[in-house]
Amino acid sequence: MLTMAAQKADSPRRWASESLLLGVSAAFLVVNFLALDLLRPGLNRLSHWLPLVLWGTCAVVGKRLLDRKLPGHDPVIFPLAMFLSGWGLVLIERLAPNFADRQILWLVLSVGAMLLAAALPHLLRWLRNYRYSLLVAGLGLLAGTIVLGTNPSGQAGAPELWLGFGPIFVQPSEILKIILAAFLASYLAEQYPAMRAAGLASEGRRLGLSPRVVGPVLLMWGLSVVILVWQRDLGTAALFFVVFLVLLYIASGHSLILVSGGLLLLIAGIIAYREFSVVRLRVDIWLNPWPEADARAFQIVQSLLAFAAGGIFGQGVGQGSPVYIPVVHSDFVFAALAEEWGLLGIVAALVCILALFTRGLRIGIQQQGRPFQALLAVGLSTLLAAQSLLITGGVLKVLPLTGVTLPFMSYGGSSLLASFIIVGLLLRLSTPEANHAVHP
Amino acid sequence: MTTEIILLLLRCLSGLLLVGLLVVLFLAMWHDFNSVAKVVETRRRTYGRLVAMREVDGHEVMTGETYPLLALTSLGRAPTNTIPISDHFASGEHALLAMRDGQWWLEDRNSRNGTTLNDVPVTEPVVIMQGDVIGIGQMKFRFELEAPGNAAVR
Repeated sequence: MLTMAAQKADSPRRWASESLLLGVSAAFLVVNFLALDLLRPGLNRLSHWLPLVLWGTCAVVGKRLLDRKLPGHDPVIFPLAMFLSGWGLVLIERLAPNFADRQILWLVLSVGAMLLAAALPHLLRWLRNYRYSLLVAGLGLLAGTIVLGTNPSGQAGAPELWLGFGPIFVQPSEILKIILAAFLASYLAEQYPAMRAAGLASEGRRLGLSPRVVGPVLLMWGLSVVILVWQRDLGTAALFFVVFLVLLYIASGHSLILVSGGLLLLIAGIIAYREFSVVRLRVDIWLNPWPEADARAFQIVQSLLAFAAGGIFGQGVGQGSPVYIPVVHSDFVFAALAEEWGLLGIVAALVCILALFTRGLRIGIQQQGRPFQALLAVGLSTLLAAQSLLITGGVLKVLPLTGVTLPFMSYGGSSLLASFIIVGLLLRLSTPEANHAVHP
Repeated sequence: MTTEIILLLLRCLSGLLLVGLLVVLFLAMWHDFNSVAKVVETRRRTYGRLVAMREVDGHEVMTGETYPLLALTSLGRAPTNTIPISDHFASGEHALLAMRDGQWWLEDRNSRNGTTLNDVPVTEPVVIMQGDVIGIGQMKFRFELEAPGNAAVR
């Protein structure tokens, strides 16, 4: 009886915590847009406030539709994604105002894609059953960048990781991330009996990690990494490796995988250091940026100076000078955040990302009885967390710099789209489904 | 002059809102973990579960899927069952697991392809025990009364 009463009391509070988080986020954004407005008097008022209005519309419509389509979904994930992406809008409005219109359009598109990922019937079954076709299609797109790849900045010698469709540029590796996580989850869930063969007759005899079990997955994963390394997209390649290791570890339960995987990553790093000039440069300026502070290490040194200038409470939005960092709006957005919101801002952003990650792990635990769903939830949240760790660590010179985006906050349409699709899938996995059929 | 003061105020406000967001986030997650703990508490008094099995090289191994039991659990292809099974060899209302007088009974509900208990066809309601394997259509389920941790203690 007691628990029944408690559960009844739960439902309104649950609803409130999502709205409350969205409300505080909206207030934070309004305050910061107001400050920006004051700092730039000559600005066109209407176009300045447009991003905020569209953000608010996205938040309200998204919340309404999620409440209707997925009652009982996770109350924290969606507001956090909206908060981080809204903060990203403030940063882009401040750092590169001429990109803001494009980014807000991508945000609207991404929230739409998130709703589709959350509500499209049979989507999980498609991801599970057509894994090879999806992965081959994704790899095809990625291979397409080798032939047709471009870089939106148009610089010669820059990595050509994008596919251009007129004015729109898409980075296939972002979408491939999700497909790869789904592929790994689906394959490893199917191999669950072989990996955990502690059934009736085969007690004690573990097939474990025999080539027959991990062979196909190793092949498909190797193919994606080879293409990424070919394209010098080493950050994404490292990301794929981490997600692969984590999922293999969770599916099989051998802790040896993590140790040997770490060693392999180290060896790959050493080989890359000898073979690729890009890697050598990145590692050298990671170890000691100061001799080349005004040449090749200019970006990272400026980023460190921005962190120092930020202090504890930051310079205030629009009142720092993070624009000294080259291309600050994409990879180095975290440094700009540090300068203008200080340690407080960094902690808030990192806590939000960490909270997203723990929610993903919690969904995985919730779905323990269903290997595919559990592995998918863990894989997707690991993607977000590992990517954030790589880039925040890189900007702070804790890790060598890898050119991945900060999820939700960096400028970049494909990244935003992929992050919101991940959010949609996580929300869907967090919803208790009434009847799920047993498939033979 | 006034602009600067307003900007300072806005800065303070934005910092406070960040702290506020962290507090709200903490409260939301704390509350959520609390309610999950309650759910786990109630689920501890579960009746048992069915563990889905598959035949691989002549051995029966777990697929990793588990289904909690109710005091009256129906199995079959119809979506109205407690455990719906999408298998063409299963009937709409195939079998029933029921707790009667402190014992678990397995009953076939006149299904077309029959129900088996440890590979023996079930013709009338039978008492089942921990570890028995129930066959429905192409699916096999192992009957487990307790969570695996508790079973090891016994």
